[in-house]
Amino acid sequence: MQTLTRERVRQDLIELLKDAREDWDTSVTVTDQTGIFNELGLESIDAVGLSSALEGHFEQTLPFPEFMSKAKEQNLKDITVGQLLDFLMTNLDGSAERKVA
Amino acid sequence: MKPQAIIFGLDGATFTVLDDLVARGIMPNLARFQHEGVRGHLMSTVPPLTPLAWSSLVTGRTPGQHGVLGFVQYTDPNTTSVQLVSSRQFTAESIWSMVNRQGKRAGSLNFVAHQPAPKIDGWVIPGWVSWRWMKRLSHPADVIEQLKEELPGFDVKKLAIDFEEERKSVVGARMDDYRSWIGLHIERERQWFEVLRHMMRQDPVDLLGIVFDGVDKLQHLLWYYLDPRITPEKPEGEYLRIREMAWDYFRTVDALLGEVVELYGNKATILICSDHGFTATREILYINSWLASMGYLTWKEETAVLDDGTQELEGGVYRQVGFDASRTKAYCLTASSNGIYINVKGRRDNTGIPAQEYERFRRELANALLTKCLDPETGEPLITKVSTREEAYWGPSMNNAPDLTLELRDFGFVSVRRTSCVRADRPLIGGTHHPEGILIARGPGIRKNACIDPVHLVDVAPTALYAMGLEIPADLQGRVIEELYTPEYLVTHNLTLGGDTEAGEAVPVPAGVPDEDTEIIEKMKALGYLE
Repeated sequence: MQTLTRERVRQDLIELLKDAREDWDTSVTVTDQTGIFNELGLESIDAVGLSSALEGHFEQTLPFPEFMSKAKEQNLKDITVGQLLDFLMTNLDGSAERKVA
Repeated sequence: MKPQAIIFGLDGATFTVLDDLVARGIMPNLARFQHEGVRGHLMSTVPPLTPLAWSSLVTGRTPGQHGVLGFVQYTDPNTTSVQLVSSRQFTAESIWSMVNRQGKRAGSLNFVAHQPAPKIDGWVIPGWVSWRWMKRLSHPADVIEQLKEELPGFDVKKLAIDFEEERKSVVGARMDDYRSWIGLHIERERQWFEVLRHMMRQDPVDLLGIVFDGVDKLQHLLWYYLDPRITPEKPEGEYLRIREMAWDYFRTVDALLGEVVELYGNKATILICSDHGFTATREILYINSWLASMGYLTWKEETAVLDDGTQELEGGVYRQVGFDASRTKAYCLTASSNGIYINVKGRRDNTGIPAQEYERFRRELANALLTKCLDPETGEPLITKVSTREEAYWGPSMNNAPDLTLELRDFGFVSVRRTSCVRADRPLIGGTHHPEGILIARGPGIRKNACIDPVHLVDVAPTALYAMGLEIPADLQGRVIEELYTPEYLVTHNLTLGGDTEAGEAVPVPAGVPDEDTEIIEKMKALGYLE
């Protein structure tokens, strides 16, 4: 299996988020600090679709409900691209960070 | 090319409501359809819950064998991680794939647990997906873009469930809310039908499946207005206006059925199916609060105590249950699952009862649920049936399923919230799932104006295969419903068994089960359920 680097996963994640936005503004610069709800305009219920889209894209199951529950417990106002990336790098079977750990 | 078989899904449809609507002349197409075909109860899964039930219908297998265990389920038997319902949980082959293997094409619209869409020969637009993700989660990858270009008036936002609108409709709905909400569902069903008709013109398939899920949504919220058994003696005013609006929805569904019959009914077998039935629910059982009152569960100190039963209605599909696992022996994970998990040391983590106490504890708990979970006012049991996981979930996924599954006295769903009471009246009579769903079949060789004894959801897939003249995989749990057909047709159309089914999207993870489960594992191995 090819090792998934953080940069590679970031690219895939951004493509996936773009797909979810018909009116994606190409001038928006997405960084690790960009919030997926407040800045990219997803709604809370989109988390369910995001979970399936991530699982479909990376072809593995992910503990996404717990990730969302923890975010809620921590009273996070938004989830950033960076936090999503951290979650993916921790949980994806082929992730470089997981291999090191 | 016209389809040979159509699964016309009406989520949650029940004869309790449909017979009344037919008698009132609100569903003339359904009346004709029944007259030209055969009807009977279609028994649902245990519990009768949408993801499990539709998955049983499309696989011909019960939940322990197909792997879809709820809206939320544990990732595998050895972890406390949970995951949301998706196609990745299927351990069994779907009917779409079965017909593909026999050289036929399939189309699937609005079925739950179909996202990401399986890559079949045909097309799949999954249900229970918000519009933003429909494009990515459908198959082929460009199907949504194609619809946008080719189908006048197509709007992906209308196709998907608008979860915000759903929430609004549940929490303190007013007349205007009802009107716009029912209107949305009418538009959604019409849009799904337009997609069906367009896809059949552009890319026809041999087996077509579609689910109209507004039936379930309306019945949950507006049961009081739809169940003829509880109609007020002299209905008037607002009651009549709301009921009329709800009937408009059913008029739409009836019109769509009429169009499907007109377009394809001269050759196709059409199976109208529901995943479960419906009935009235009047109370809420706070099952985790009961478990806590009996010393089986310990709440975390910070878990808020709710006193107002109506707050339950605002809950999401999944809410983390605020209990202390180290001091908890049994718990319910999600509302609607009606499933109790026993916390066994070494199973999912290192908390819970010792493995060797499992069988004794489970018997004790089942007995307590049936005899000690009582209505505080009348002393009557709130729970009427408790099924073990061997009874409800036999199969490779059994070890990932709840240890006990409850049927409540009013068939309602439990709440997992922490409250000061065990039971509360619902603010309004609501609708809840009932094990008796519907099957109405019409097509070549099918008898006319007849009734059959109850059959099961798992019988639908083999029956659809038979209607298409295809082989029935030998290892399906369901059977061809031969009593639908005339004796002459059965004589001239042999039922042919084929090879076994193929694996689904997922592969079950064997559990780190306690020793006393070894015998069951051995039995399952002997039956070929585990390797």
